[in-house]
Amino acid sequence: MGPQHPSTHGVLRLEIVTDGEIIKAAYPDLGYLHRCFEKHAENREYLQVVPFTDRLDYVAAMNQELGYCLAVEKLIEVEATPRAQTIRVIVSELQRIASHLLAIGTYSLDIGGFTPMLYAFRDREHILGIFEELSGARLLYNYVRPGGVARDLSRGLEEKIREFCRYFVPQLVEIEELLSGNAIFMDRTCKVGIVSPDMAVAYGFSGVNLRGSGIDWDLRKVRPYSGYEKYEFSSITATLEHGVIGDCWNRYNCRMKEMHESVKIVEQALARLEAGEIMAKVPKAIKATGEVYLETECPRGNLGYYIVADGSKQPYRVKVKSPGFISLACFDELTSGMMLSDIVAFIGSLDFVMGEVDR
Amino acid sequence: MNETQGSLKQYFANIREAVTSVSKGMGITFRAFLKSNGMRKQLGSVDYGAGPVTVSYPEVKDDIPLNSRNRLFNHVEGCIACNQCAVICPVECITIDSRKKTADENLDERTPAEFGSKPKKLKLLRYEIDEALCCFCGLCTEVCPTECIVHTPEFEYSKYDRDKLTYDYLNFKDDNPLPKG
Repeated sequence: MGPQHPSTHGVLRLEIVTDGEIIKAAYPDLGYLHRCFEKHAENREYLQVVPFTDRLDYVAAMNQELGYCLAVEKLIEVEATPRAQTIRVIVSELQRIASHLLAIGTYSLDIGGFTPMLYAFRDREHILGIFEELSGARLLYNYVRPGGVARDLSRGLEEKIREFCRYFVPQLVEIEELLSGNAIFMDRTCKVGIVSPDMAVAYGFSGVNLRGSGIDWDLRKVRPYSGYEKYEFSSITATLEHGVIGDCWNRYNCRMKEMHESVKIVEQALARLEAGEIMAKVPKAIKATGEVYLETECPRGNLGYYIVADGSKQPYRVKVKSPGFISLACFDELTSGMMLSDIVAFIGSLDFVMGEVDR
Repeated sequence: MNETQGSLKQYFANIREAVTSVSKGMGITFRAFLKSNGMRKQLGSVDYGAGPVTVSYPEVKDDIPLNSRNRLFNHVEGCIACNQCAVICPVECITIDSRKKTADENLDERTPAEFGSKPKKLKLLRYEIDEALCCFCGLCTEVCPTECIVHTPEFEYSKYDRDKLTYDYLNFKDDNPLPKG
C-alpha cells in the first residue's frame, strides 16, 4: 500500500502481509519525504532555520515554528514580549483548528463522507486567509521568530479573527452533527484500532492520540509555555460516549472537541491583547552555548526540539522529536488481525503528516 | 464492525438508528440547499456562509492582501549592494556583484534626503535572484536597510524554461507587467 495511496496522507508506504482481507503484518516504510532537515539546520544560522521548520509539518507550520523559537529563546535566555506571546497563542490555536479541520475533513473523505471534507476546507480557508493577511503566506509562514513575531496584527485583523470565531462555532456544530452520530461513520470507526491506555503510554504517544486513549496529558496544562496558564480551557480526554476508549472514534471526537476549546482560547487571547512591542531585544546574530530540549503541544502531539549550541552562529545539532514518527511505531502490533479496509480508518485517525515523520 | 447484531430487537434498533442519523445529515444538506437559494448570510466585512465559495480562478481573481509574499522585486536604484539579503537567504538564491566606486563617480541620482544616512559606496554590477530557488520566507526583505527588495503580490510568473526564472534586476524584463510599488 502506498507510497502514493490517497489515504496515506503523504508518502507513506506500508508493506502488508495479508490473508485474504485480514492483515497478518504491516510494516511502515519511511523515508520518502526525507529532506535532511537536521543536517541543513547545522549549516544555517539560528534565524535561517525558522523557514525550514515550517516545512516539517506543513499542515501546522505555526506550531512547529513556535516550538523551535521557544527552544532558541530558552537557549539565549530571552523571553518574548507579552503582546508577542498573546499573538503566538492566537496563531497557534488558529493553526490547531486549521490542522484538526484538515485531519477530520480528510478522515471523513477516507472512509466515505464527502460533505464534511468540503465544509472543513471551506472553514480552513478563512483561517488561511487570516494568516495570509497576517504573515504574507498561506501555508509556510515564517512568522514566529526567536524573541517575538515578525509582523504586528494589521488593521482590522483583530475584528476579523473575532468574526471568524463567531462564525465558526455553529459551523463546527454542523460538521459534528454530520459525522459524530452518523451510523455509517460509527460503524467504520468504533472499536477499530483500539490503543489501550497502557499501550499508548508504552509507545510514547502524545497529544490527541494519547488523550483519545483516556490519559489526560496536555502540555499546555502540564507544562505551560507562552502564557497558556492564564487561559481557561479544558484538556479533552476520551469519554465513553461511543465505542471503546482508545478507538478511532474517540481520537476523532477528541479532535472535534478540542477545536471548541481552541476557539475559547482564541477569544480569551483577543480580549487579553495589549499594546506593546512585538519583538524582544534579540542580538542580530544569535550565538549561544549549551544544550536545550523543549516540547510543545502541537496538533499532532508533543513536538520536541533538542538544540546543541557550540558558541558559533549556527547550531551544532538540531534534533526533532516528532509525534507522528512515534505513532507509526505501533503499526505492526495493532494492525495484525485487522481488516484491510479498517487500516485506512486507522491511519486517518492517527493523523500524522509525513513531512514531520521523515523530516 | 457492529458486533451487537443478532437479536431481532437489535436488528430493528440498528435500522432506526441508521435512518435517523442519515436523515440528520440529509437535513443539513437540505438546509444548505435552502440557504444557497438567496438566503446568504452576511457577517461583517467578509461574506461567510452558504452560497458558492469557489472562485473560478483564471476569469475571476481572489483578492490577495498587499503584504502577501510572492515574487521578489528589487528596486535597483535604491540598492546599496550591501549584500545582507544574499547572506541571510537560507537557500542562497540571490547573487550580487559589486565594485568600489571611484572618486569622481556619483552613483546616487537621489537627493540626500531620500537616501538618508545610507549613500551608495559600491557600484552594483549584478543583481540576480533565482526565483525557482526562492522559498518566500521574507528574510531578505526584513534585513534590507534601504527597503528596496520587496515581495510583490505578483504570483503568476510561471515559465516554460527554468532559466527564465532567474531575474536580472539591473535590466529587468518580463512577459508579465511590472509590479508597481
